[in-house]
Amino acid sequence: MQLLLTRIKLNRLRPVCRYSTPSLNDTYEAISVHNPRLNALPHIHPLDPTQEVNGPLSGWSFAVKSNIASPLPTTCASSMLSSYTSPFSATAVTKLEHAGARMIGTSNMDEFGMGSLNQSSVHGPAHNLHPENGNVLHSPGGSSGGSAAAVAARMCRVALGSDTGGSVRLPASWCGVVGFKPSYGRVSRYGLVSYASSLDSVGILARSTRDIRDTFNIISAPDPHDMTCMSKSLRSRIDTLCASREWISHNTIASEPLKGVRVGVPSEFWVDELSPSAIDAWKRGAAKLESLGCDVIPVSLPHTPHTLPAYYTLALAEASSNLARFDGIRFGTRHPPTQSTRASLKYAQTRTMGFGDEVKRRILLGTFVMSARAYENYYLPSQRIRRLVQREFNRIFAMPNALCTTNTKTDARNVDKVDAILFPTATDTAPVQGSNNGLSAYVNDVMTVSANMAGIPAISVPFGLCEGMPLGLQIAAQYGDDDLVLRIARHLESQPA
Amino acid sequence: MIHMMIEARTAPHALARSWRQYTSAASVDQTTAGFKATIGLELHVQLLAAQKLFSAASAKWNEPPNTNVNVADAGFPGALPQLNPECVQLAARAILALDGQIQQRSAFDRKHYFYADQPLGYQITQQHHPIGRGGYVDLGSLDGLEYVKRIGIHQLQLEQDTAKSIHGVYPGHVLVDLNRAGVALIEIVSKPDVDTADEAVMYVRKMQNLLRHIGVSNCNMEEGSLRCDVNVSVYRDGEDRLSGTRCELKNLNSLKVIRGAVNAEISRQIAVVQRGDNVEQETRGYDAQSDTTFVTRTKEAAPDYRYMPEPDVPEIHINESWITRLRKTLPETPEAVMSRMMPQYGLVQEDVETMLGEPGCTVFFEQAVVGRDPKRVLSWITSEVFGQLAYRSQRLVGSSLTVPQFTQIIDALSSDAITSGQAKQLLIEFMDGEQRTIDELIAAHGWEVISDDGKLRVISKQLLDTHPKEVARYLKGQTRRLNFFVGKLMQATNGQAKPQNASEIMKELLEARR
Repeated sequence: MQLLLTRIKLNRLRPVCRYSTPSLNDTYEAISVHNPRLNALPHIHPLDPTQEVNGPLSGWSFAVKSNIASPLPTTCASSMLSSYTSPFSATAVTKLEHAGARMIGTSNMDEFGMGSLNQSSVHGPAHNLHPENGNVLHSPGGSSGGSAAAVAARMCRVALGSDTGGSVRLPASWCGVVGFKPSYGRVSRYGLVSYASSLDSVGILARSTRDIRDTFNIISAPDPHDMTCMSKSLRSRIDTLCASREWISHNTIASEPLKGVRVGVPSEFWVDELSPSAIDAWKRGAAKLESLGCDVIPVSLPHTPHTLPAYYTLALAEASSNLARFDGIRFGTRHPPTQSTRASLKYAQTRTMGFGDEVKRRILLGTFVMSARAYENYYLPSQRIRRLVQREFNRIFAMPNALCTTNTKTDARNVDKVDAILFPTATDTAPVQGSNNGLSAYVNDVMTVSANMAGIPAISVPFGLCEGMPLGLQIAAQYGDDDLVLRIARHLESQPA
Repeated sequence: MIHMMIEARTAPHALARSWRQYTSAASVDQTTAGFKATIGLELHVQLLAAQKLFSAASAKWNEPPNTNVNVADAGFPGALPQLNPECVQLAARAILALDGQIQQRSAFDRKHYFYADQPLGYQITQQHHPIGRGGYVDLGSLDGLEYVKRIGIHQLQLEQDTAKSIHGVYPGHVLVDLNRAGVALIEIVSKPDVDTADEAVMYVRKMQNLLRHIGVSNCNMEEGSLRCDVNVSVYRDGEDRLSGTRCELKNLNSLKVIRGAVNAEISRQIAVVQRGDNVEQETRGYDAQSDTTFVTRTKEAAPDYRYMPEPDVPEIHINESWITRLRKTLPETPEAVMSRMMPQYGLVQEDVETMLGEPGCTVFFEQAVVGRDPKRVLSWITSEVFGQLAYRSQRLVGSSLTVPQFTQIIDALSSDAITSGQAKQLLIEFMDGEQRTIDELIAAHGWEVISDDGKLRVISKQLLDTHPKEVARYLKGQTRRLNFFVGKLMQATNGQAKPQNASEIMKELLEARR
């Protein structure tokens, strides 16, 4: 019986080849074992063992979220693009391939990045690896649920995701892996299907911060194709700002590797919805950072409560704009109109049939907030809140924001300023898939949207289990301070479960 | 086809004369009725950049459909806009030439609407933070206006052109050609300073000349590189000139149509007000056959464009030193050229205008005319050179004719080293791409003028010997027989005898036979 089952499972996929590097063999075996249950990878790349490229990431396997252009279909988990293959590849994908990594498939997601549960997908919902040995399927989080699940189940070494309001960090925390959202503009968005252009970032999921850093070093580079991608001169100016912080030493003793680093605990993130396990992880995390040599102090970000509604207003407005191009005329699935009169009506059938309910809901709301009547009451105030959120971060961080100053040196800091902040990634662990309803699904984003609104780097690091379900802690820092975020994360993650 | 193109190319020169004869009957009517008009114009001008505003695809006109398209123009998922700096430069040149202010910070917006010619579902434009503000165009006697009038410019903004949508070829279908999608336009919005249809047309013509002169656009209404929308309202004499409701006239595709449409609309609005009704704010088109305007869109149907700042394109920052360097590359304005060249070279207005109609021509003229007769240089340029350009469907800039080649021909002609016919032949050869020097060509053709008197005498004597009857007639008193012999001499020398010499020698020899 056991043998029969194994054979059936293996026959559903292409035969596993013998590769020189063990990791690629593990990849295909993990896929055959876990993917049917987790539904993490809708498309799997039949790798050719003869196509070896030498580079820093030789032997690495990576999955690509379905909204990032690659040689495989870029479906965005939508019926609109269910058989669409992009004529070009995303810059991030190309860079990984040039570095020797091999793309093993595309990963499941919420349609067009809209969702926190990976529930609304034309490929069907994705599921969480956890609880291991459990039989109730939990959500892997969203929208990069497939990427997080694949990494957790060892189907790939690393996965690319996208993070607009937490879509890399939330699934990472619920699947027990590391999820990194770099500063806005670090990684080119060329090839990432835009949801909210000023909030979107390509993100990385992996099982260790070291893998995150190695991947980040490859994909973080200037790109003329993306005008919002940081230029070489901006990057070098940020490097100088970072290096001029005399209180952060890189020659530290092993027992206090983060000596000199000051970490803030933002009180406004202590929201009512925070579960006891999240609060507990937060406290343990703060204690751990102290033991690593950090000064941990309270900080205040008063506009935090307004950030979630402002985020949704702006994200939906930009989404309604970015999704206007999906009309079935030049690419994608076309549904012919039932009655053809004006040109604008020719698109209605395609868009009605091609978009899922959540996407339609967000497009309608986004269109509304940009309409002439609503613009002054919703869109503009949300932009002002966004500016205030950015200013608040500039006030608490010792390093200046390179976009707001021409300084090349960070002044000696005063006692109120910090170098990074620590807070939970989610209010609770992953819910059962299919159980969530209504507004509570949106509230999952409350811990993550601030980083997107301000464009600052943020990472979720797994920090223990609660009843078999993982949860994570977030580290965020000033715009451009990605290195410090990765450095703190590396020390935070080595926490026994 | 070539015939049409020649017509189009000489149109600016023809128009320079024809419109001044036109009398506008409608402008007489409106004054007697006690009404005046307020007119503002929006010009959409295609820039002469090689590539589009936000993509590297070619912006060339009239290519096979859907060949100049890349993923950004077609709005493929994941594609992003990439600003073309050449377009910023061309827009800045236009602003400087109009004496406007280049904004040191400008930004882009998205203007949303669904239509077959809008692949992204929005147009990237500069509604709120345009690259240029202010500026003006002056109209006066050089433009055919009896008085002086300044038309202010409100703003100048960069924006994307739409694709072309073609209706009516296949019933129930719209054909879409994306070649034009994303081509760079500048929209020049005037202040509502214009008062009559004539002024409106003069303003457009002036703008055409100016933008062509500085190499920003071809401004060709037939090709679509210049499109014009006009806003018209009327008011009773004595009231505030902005008190009337305005209507927008769109799809006006020639100067004649602009004049007709504006006058027709003014008449219509006056009639509406006179019978006690209100003018409704509408978008209207013009039917040339019935000389009336008709509704194309009512105010209620006007779309809400949901303007949003363009998040994929950062602000454009322009500093003073860039502007200063750019200013240095601008040529003189047509007026300045006109005012200077007319007295300097003793030319009349039409002469300079004709040259201004061909980009680069005044510069060519001024280089060629040094130490030469301006009238002759002018005549050779405007008849011979222009004729050759028209025949080849070429522009002066980019043709193979150089100033030295041209002046050598003129000089050779002036010193009688070649005849007029031979000069024309040389011009053709140079414009065909002939690289040899003029001396080499003259030698190659065997055109050296025979100025050797001895040779001529020998030939002349022979001629006199072979035509005794004519000699006799001459000696009897028919002195005009000299021309006969000169003609024969020219014939015998294949036209290469120097005419004066031929005449003198012949006369001398004839007299010697008395």
